[in-house]
Amino acid sequence: MQSFFQTLVSGLSFGAVYALVALGFSLVYRTMGLVNFAHGAVLMIGAYVASTFYLSARLPFAVAVPAAMAVTAAIGLVIERVLRPLENKDFDLMLIGTIGAGTVLQAAAILTWSSAGRGVNSPVQTAPLDIGGVRIPGYNILVIAVTAVAMAALTLFLQRTRQGAAMQAVAMDHEAATAVGIHVGRSNAISFAIGAALAALAGALVGPMLYVSPTMGDSLGIDGFAAAILGGFGSVPGAIIGGLGIGVIGSFAAQQFQGYSDLVTFVVFTVLVMIRPTGIFGERTVNRA
Amino acid sequence: MSLPSSLASSLPSAARSPRAARLGGLAVLAVAAWLLPYQLNVYWISVADIAVLFALLAVGMGLVMGIAGQVNLAQIAFYGVGAYTTAILTTRDGFGFWTAAAVAMIATALTGIVVGTPALRVQSHYLGIVTLGLAVAFIDWITNAPVTNGDSGISGIPTPPLPGIDLSSQYLYYYLELIVLAGGLAFGLFVVHTPLGRRMRAMRDDPLAASAAGTEIRQLRMIAFVLASVYGGAAGVLYAGMIGYIAPETFSIADMFLLLAMVIIGGRRSLAGCVTGAVVLTIVQQELINLAAYAQLGYGLVVVLVVVFAPAGLVGIPGRLAARYRRWRGHTATSAALEPFQPLPAATPVAASGVAPGEPLLEVSHLVRRFRGVLALDDVSLTVRAGEILGVVGPNGSGKTTLFNVISGFYRPHGGSIALNGQVISGARPSQVSRLGVARTFQHLRLFGNLTAADNMLVSLDRTRTWWSWRYLCHPAGVWRYDRRLKRRAAELLAGFGLAQFAGALPGTLPYGTQRRLEMARAIASSPRLLLLDEPAAGLNGEERAQLAAIVRSVRDSGVTVVLIEHNMGLVMSLCERVIVLDSGSVIAEGLPAQVSRDPAVLEAYLGKSALRAPQATEAGP
Amino acid sequence: MRDRAMRDGALTVSNLAVRYGGVWAVRSVSFTVAPGQSVGLIGANGAGKTSTLRALMGLVPRAEGELRFGDRDLSRVPARHMVRLGIGYVPEGRHVFPGLSVEKNLLLGAYARRWDGTTRDTLGSIYDLFPVLAAMRGRLAGALSGGQQQMLAIGRALMARPTLLLLDEPSMGLSPKLVEVIGETLRRLRDDGLSLLLVEQNAMLTFEATTDCLVLENGEIALSGTAAELSRNSRVRSIYIGL
Repeated sequence: MQSFFQTLVSGLSFGAVYALVALGFSLVYRTMGLVNFAHGAVLMIGAYVASTFYLSARLPFAVAVPAAMAVTAAIGLVIERVLRPLENKDFDLMLIGTIGAGTVLQAAAILTWSSAGRGVNSPVQTAPLDIGGVRIPGYNILVIAVTAVAMAALTLFLQRTRQGAAMQAVAMDHEAATAVGIHVGRSNAISFAIGAALAALAGALVGPMLYVSPTMGDSLGIDGFAAAILGGFGSVPGAIIGGLGIGVIGSFAAQQFQGYSDLVTFVVFTVLVMIRPTGIFGERTVNRA
Repeated sequence: MSLPSSLASSLPSAARSPRAARLGGLAVLAVAAWLLPYQLNVYWISVADIAVLFALLAVGMGLVMGIAGQVNLAQIAFYGVGAYTTAILTTRDGFGFWTAAAVAMIATALTGIVVGTPALRVQSHYLGIVTLGLAVAFIDWITNAPVTNGDSGISGIPTPPLPGIDLSSQYLYYYLELIVLAGGLAFGLFVVHTPLGRRMRAMRDDPLAASAAGTEIRQLRMIAFVLASVYGGAAGVLYAGMIGYIAPETFSIADMFLLLAMVIIGGRRSLAGCVTGAVVLTIVQQELINLAAYAQLGYGLVVVLVVVFAPAGLVGIPGRLAARYRRWRGHTATSAALEPFQPLPAATPVAASGVAPGEPLLEVSHLVRRFRGVLALDDVSLTVRAGEILGVVGPNGSGKTTLFNVISGFYRPHGGSIALNGQVISGARPSQVSRLGVARTFQHLRLFGNLTAADNMLVSLDRTRTWWSWRYLCHPAGVWRYDRRLKRRAAELLAGFGLAQFAGALPGTLPYGTQRRLEMARAIASSPRLLLLDEPAAGLNGEERAQLAAIVRSVRDSGVTVVLIEHNMGLVMSLCERVIVLDSGSVIAEGLPAQVSRDPAVLEAYLGKSALRAPQATEAGP
Repeated sequence: MRDRAMRDGALTVSNLAVRYGGVWAVRSVSFTVAPGQSVGLIGANGAGKTSTLRALMGLVPRAEGELRFGDRDLSRVPARHMVRLGIGYVPEGRHVFPGLSVEKNLLLGAYARRWDGTTRDTLGSIYDLFPVLAAMRGRLAGALSGGQQQMLAIGRALMARPTLLLLDEPSMGLSPKLVEVIGETLRRLRDDGLSLLLVEQNAMLTFEATTDCLVLENGEIALSGTAAELSRNSRVRSIYIGL
């Protein structure tokens, strides 16, 4: 029973990270129709930049993370600008374009930080919480808390600000948005930058939980995408449920199946997508032909 | 030695023909490839060996992605299944190499079916993530499963035995690979230029129009994935036999993206492009082996540049330069012209459809269709009689195109039914509806943009089922003969429609009126009994409209029943024998054109109802 | 709406031509909308009405022609700046933002202006004009009926306090009763001094809501005159019905 809860806790902390990744994917997909295969690489860059600020520059964790988010958001703006001609025109080419961008980012990371990878020590030095024999590391609580704050902030931004409303409007109807005076290109750029910042946050948070390496974005990106699809693209609650779901499934799979966890999570997710391509909150992707 | 003048003058023209030039070029390349090992040292021959394997993988990718339009990020997994099956069967179970290879090919094909299954339901980015995930799952498995020895890999794989030839030599192995690549490339090109490949390309360009022309989309997608897997598996088998040792690091996601880069940079729509990309990038990769990260940075950037600026890849660049040169020189206009339409041979509807003139051919009963709560078709019933030209008219948003879309099978009705000559077709797939003899054109022209006019016709002319394709494996000569028959028929039809001079042109280069005619010709090519025309006169000028009317009458006289949606009332009045008027999803009038146009309900639907005053008596206006 | 600043802007369209991929949707159209004038553009489907409006807004490229609003050359103005010039647009098919509330939709109409006190006042007057929207202010726009969405689309365009309102087939898909409501709304707006350019298939509605009309056929103007004259002209019917 104890180990069940232990696995659950671990699953929830990873789930929070996946939820952030999923939200980044959803935001970009909903506003631009773009599935960003570079998202995982962006996450990885965020993890590296944050850990560099934290370890080498010795900035406090609470400063390193937002700084990394800003840097990564800037990178996101560059990628969006380069791929803009393809927006809403050729989805397959856009997909490949983002794969290319991701490849470039990964290579840049290897060149900047070497392919060896690094460990990041946890910024929370207190002893883990012990509830009924279940050990909850302080850092995991921090991750969940920060994620919750980020989700709340994003929700507030989307629901309460003019720019947030504009971004949602662009996502729903480009032309009507243009007719009321919204600059669609700029709105997309901001969405992309926010998506990148969310990925960076996820990467920065997951650093102390995993090993930071140039390939860390691959499976995290896929898990995040799976979470986004599962929860249905575009809603914050969906991203949370999808993320937590994938996190918990992954955690139990890792415990039961050892090294095959990716495989198991993946099979579960594929079967779910095939049965219910709409996800829990989401949209249809099936065509009749 | 001088040639007789007649021979001399005929030679240059033969050399100028593109077909001869291409065959000549191919011959030169083939000879060069055969002689290559003699020029290379030990290091370069191993590079060549790897390049040929990647070329084989790339051809498989090209077939599924460039030709069939399916996103496939699992190619590396097919490579791995081929290699690992061979390795495990030979080292652990003591199979002979060739036996193991045969089993490996079957295993890979089965994997292809598994990977292709999601493609039946989802496309584009969803398919991308599913296939990528399957690849990751495969890598996960080979890294952890005891049977694959995990990270340590499997060594001691025997070299393929061949009587009298020692394939442990990399030089001789090159020839084995080259023969497999040549065979694979030849088969791939054969598929691309014959009915199966043409259907795949049509599906890639416009799945909706393709299914309305009789293409069975799901079967084709599955075949595409199996083809890709077979090429991947073959490469994997060859790899295992060449190196004698395999490990998970060869089948990484990084290598998957490298393979993708090869196909994109080389040109995914051309198999030659895929091979080119594979060879070029392998050489670059090997040369920069110590600067691997720089190489990755490089090809990542090139992929982004290619995708934004030159989507056709390296292989497409000469074509674009040539087009730009031509434009610069002012050679923009083609001299090709539309010729007069030749009336089709007359026939009765009985011959075409088995139904006597005037008897019901299509019966729509109480059809209901909703979109997000809006009732687009509200209890619509109508009968189409064999041999007539029926007009369907109504204001914007009245449900006319929805009606066609339900008949075609694009949408399932929420109520009611449709029967063609007694057989229920509501709920059937578009390709089934097409096979039963219904053809259509579209309001916003749906020609296959990357297929020539002749190819557009060929897709529609091909009435075989997908499973007819087994002949590709067992009886290619039969495929070839069938294709030639189709091509002759296509040429006849194009000539009949006055489109002979445009046979080799891409639809996008044709004038609008010509494109409309081509779409009509394509619909007729499927020998339908019922032809649905959705606003065929949209955008045509007066003369073109008159030609259209003549064509429609001729089509009817050849035994085909015609239903057309039109807004141009003059055309409807002169062409249609009967008219049905829809408004807000319901039939509000039916009858002869002259009757219907005086019906007050119709006038009101079009012109609107006056709320403030009674309709004035009409006066002759200025 | 009462204290809207009136600009001297007249909309002048000269020899407008619009092309979609090889087809001339509009061959040559010229007309003027003076300040306070309401003009109707009618014709059968495919005549080029919607293309004219979309080209005006800059949503589709204009192949040829001169467009002026007051002293501004519209051909240099991107679509998103039209609202700043005082040109409001109600698209064909409503195009409300379905996932946002009615109030959010309306507030977005004033995006180009600052969200300040005057915006709240304008919102109030929109609710006065369309009481049903006030009653449903918290509902998601996607849940509204067709007629309600049409009112929302008009209200959204009015939030920017335009001097010229472009409407594309507002009666499409609406029941006769709702078409009457639309007609009355347009007359009220007209009485308030708003310039209107109404594109419609429903000729009768147009004759009642506007003072001057143009009939389009195959991308060109076939007839023009006052609404009263054209409503008695039998050629209008023949253009629509072909008889």
